[in-house]
Amino acid sequence: MARALIVQLARLGDLMQTIPAITAIKTAVPDLGLDLLCPPSLSSIGRMVPGVDEVLEWDGTVWRRWADEASADLRPAHLQEAAKQIETLSLRRYDCAYVLNQHPRALLAGALLARETRGPRLDGPIGEHLSPWASYVRAVARTGRGSRVHLADALCGLCGVPPPGWSPVLGKPFCPLPSNLDQIGRRGEPWIGLIVGAGAVERSVPTEIWTIWIIRFLEAAPNGRVVLLGEERERGRWIHNLLPPSLLGRVWDVTGRTSLLELAEVLSRCHLAIGSDTGPLHLAAAVGTRVFGWYFARARVHETGPYGMGHLVWQAVDETGEGEMRRADIRPAQWPIEESIAQFMGGQEMRTCGTPGWSLWMSRYDRWGAYYAEVGGCFDPPSERERLWRELSPSLTGGSAVGAT
Amino acid sequence: MSHLSENLQRLGRKASALAEAVRSAAGGVLSLTPSREGSVTAKYGDQWVHSAYDPRKEARIWGETQLKEWRSGEIGVVLGVGLLYHVETLAAMKTDDRRVAVVVADVSVLKDALAARPMGDWVEAVEWIWGDVVEMARCLSGLSAPLRFLTYVPGARLHADVHRELETALRRMVAEQGGGRLHIAVVGPIYGGSLPVARYVVSALESLGHGVTWIDHSSHRQSYDRFNSYQEARHRLAMQSRFAELLSFDTVTRLAENRPDLVLAIAQAPLTAGVLEHVRKKKFPTAMWFVENYRHLTYWRQLASSYDYWFVIQQGECVEAFRRAGARQVHYLPVAADADVHAPCVLTDAERAEYGADVSFVGAGYRNRRALLPRWLSREWTFKLWGDEWEGAAELAPVLQRGGARIDTETCRKVFNASTINLNIHSYDGPSLDPHADFVNPRTFELAGCGAFQLTDERTLLSDLFTEQEVVRFRREDEVPKLIRRWLHDHEARRAVAEAARRRVLAQHTYRHRMKELLAAIGVHQPDRIGAVLRGDRHARALASRPDAPPELSALLDRFPPTQRVELKDLAEDIRRRGVGRPLAREELLVLLLDSYRSETRDLV
Repeated sequence: MARALIVQLARLGDLMQTIPAITAIKTAVPDLGLDLLCPPSLSSIGRMVPGVDEVLEWDGTVWRRWADEASADLRPAHLQEAAKQIETLSLRRYDCAYVLNQHPRALLAGALLARETRGPRLDGPIGEHLSPWASYVRAVARTGRGSRVHLADALCGLCGVPPPGWSPVLGKPFCPLPSNLDQIGRRGEPWIGLIVGAGAVERSVPTEIWTIWIIRFLEAAPNGRVVLLGEERERGRWIHNLLPPSLLGRVWDVTGRTSLLELAEVLSRCHLAIGSDTGPLHLAAAVGTRVFGWYFARARVHETGPYGMGHLVWQAVDETGEGEMRRADIRPAQWPIEESIAQFMGGQEMRTCGTPGWSLWMSRYDRWGAYYAEVGGCFDPPSERERLWRELSPSLTGGSAVGAT
Repeated sequence: MSHLSENLQRLGRKASALAEAVRSAAGGVLSLTPSREGSVTAKYGDQWVHSAYDPRKEARIWGETQLKEWRSGEIGVVLGVGLLYHVETLAAMKTDDRRVAVVVADVSVLKDALAARPMGDWVEAVEWIWGDVVEMARCLSGLSAPLRFLTYVPGARLHADVHRELETALRRMVAEQGGGRLHIAVVGPIYGGSLPVARYVVSALESLGHGVTWIDHSSHRQSYDRFNSYQEARHRLAMQSRFAELLSFDTVTRLAENRPDLVLAIAQAPLTAGVLEHVRKKKFPTAMWFVENYRHLTYWRQLASSYDYWFVIQQGECVEAFRRAGARQVHYLPVAADADVHAPCVLTDAERAEYGADVSFVGAGYRNRRALLPRWLSREWTFKLWGDEWEGAAELAPVLQRGGARIDTETCRKVFNASTINLNIHSYDGPSLDPHADFVNPRTFELAGCGAFQLTDERTLLSDLFTEQEVVRFRREDEVPKLIRRWLHDHEARRAVAEAARRRVLAQHTYRHRMKELLAAIGVHQPDRIGAVLRGDRHARALASRPDAPPELSALLDRFPPTQRVELKDLAEDIRRRGVGRPLAREELLVLLLDSYRSETRDLV
């Protein structure tokens, strides 16, 4: 049986957006043994990805230490240790490595661990010629122009497989919650997983805004509960402190206290995840929970909106009304608080955005992958995706994963 | 058979001459006594040389500590003999790729040790270093491997002077052998007397073939001075401190962008303790050449533990004070002259008229100079005073040149060359000659370098640097007029003295000499880093010929000229240049992978 390795050394959101590519590869070559190489911090969640047999941990801190030592005093022993580390990961070289990062270390790791690599470079790990899909992704990144091809689907293109055409989810169970958190999702409803913020201030929703959102939501949903999630414990505590005492019993602050698997479990028990931090939002979508995203600063809905069906993204737009198609560092002046609560409480009845400075988008997918359609507008899939797939992957109709080479 | 006879037989098989010397030695330096645990232990006077309770356990703990630093391929040079428990332990604990050498400063102590207890076969596996210090240094440098000094303090303190002399001799030898090229970041001050020293240091290092990144903060002088316009002193101090902090970060940013092998700061360099701690965590070796009087400028107390190496211009109490304040390595390194700058020059008649005088003094108006110089004015000789900070010195106003403006280096050189007698008075903030007259100022070397005749106030450290036939000195202020009269009209005698002083400078006291000594001192203590580069261990040929170098690595190294220093980044660059479009070997991929992480270690800022 052929064995292949997925190399994904970036962050949580990138790993979650790799799931469709893994699914697509397994669909194209069902007999292929597929392992995943990822950072140790993501290995637990990597093991839940359907289609992955084994997870190999790429410990960057060890490599960084050797690099420090070798740059201070180059010795043959450094190369010997490094070679041993590669052997510890896998004694046998893989038939193929699908490299999903453009960083040299990912390309080199793939070249060391596999006989053949597929990914961003056409002529080896130090080559300069990018594959068509890598050129496309880089051009999008460099020019700041928007793209209607979702990044997760572009990763499929990098791997030489078409998008799966459906939305794969992580396999359950994730992990039992500690007794003090085990009541989450069990009493009262709806439960909202509120992701308090990304690390960078410019990418975070102000804590005062979240506080207002929670108050309004709990007023609108008398049995509702909110769980504050994320790594930013200070922000969680700050929000908690701003809430009126009467609501405290309905707001659970678990920021900074959950492992990645526990976070997945908590998100899976929620009826909705809301936030602006795309990593946890992708995780929520991957565990099958509906997502409301507030995308601003550099986040753009069409490239990195939560993958799946029925997720909603409020996209901040600039005065040209093109925030979703242009990389504009937009800092919203007002926030879609009432609108997002109304959308959630209103069930299936979709309304237009209504908040100045924002547009509202809903996720869908078809055979060309995921796409977002503007709520209140036409839900027809955008044609440019098909055109792009035909241009960048002309030979893809039969699929050409490693088994076909 | 006694322990001594048996042990001498073993020693004789390894070092017969030493065994013979031990046999003839008196012994009796150590007093032996049983330890609580039963084995024999020793005292020197009132001081225990080994544990009174369990010398073997103590030796084991010491050995474990040494092994943490001791690298493969290095020779561990043990300072301190005692009863050799620690050497025995070290010999047992070490791996085969490490060798042990023991410095025997006094064969009588070794005799006591060999008579005290039975030794094992390890005696024959150890290199025994003995004789006078030069002989020992030659022997150690002849071992052809990096040396790692392992000091057993209770035993070593008996012969601390010998060990210090040995290190000095070894440094000199390393300095002479040094051929490797280092990349050194020199961090200079914003202004002040140490600024020209920083320039000379840069020039010397470059002329020795090292790569230098000169982090010159003098360009910030104007901004720094703007803070003097505040009315309140505390505002000025606060802002100047903040400004220095900003420049400290500027230095770190430059280090991050171009990683050096060594950061060499010159006194007054704006580097804060916090930034130095950060730099240390990133494993940059740091050194400070404190070319200031430690009694006057005392900020070194706050920074003592922040630098890996201190080089100071004073000895004795100064070195002790730095150590007490937390400095790990303190070395004496006097200032010097720059042979290109401080040299004789031919003057035109007009220049001779402008700069010349029977007696001259160049320098700032310190309190002692203001008090002493008027006493040395006379109708018997002409006198010119050059330099700044002489405001209010009414008696000296008639001889003050250029209205007390600061003069540049080139003008100084012309004055030195044009003056018959140059006075050199070390600065002191009192009305007399410096009562703590130890260090020798840069002016002494500069005047000597220029081939100029000088009368200098006596310093305790001067005789180590110049003889009385090279630099004429005075001990009391009333000697000066007599000396002027003695030398003013004796042209030949003056010329002989001045030329001898210049020869001495060129032979021993240039900044090139000092930088060689400084790097050798660091190299001796960092055999695996600075020392390795200085020895040429990082040259392509040396790396390729290491016994553990796989053929694939040797093939990569063969692409470089044999004596070119090769680092990880050089290998990676070469692979990238040649590797496009062809399959890369495993070793090449590994080099590139390590380099990709190296290039991301610039997170200093």
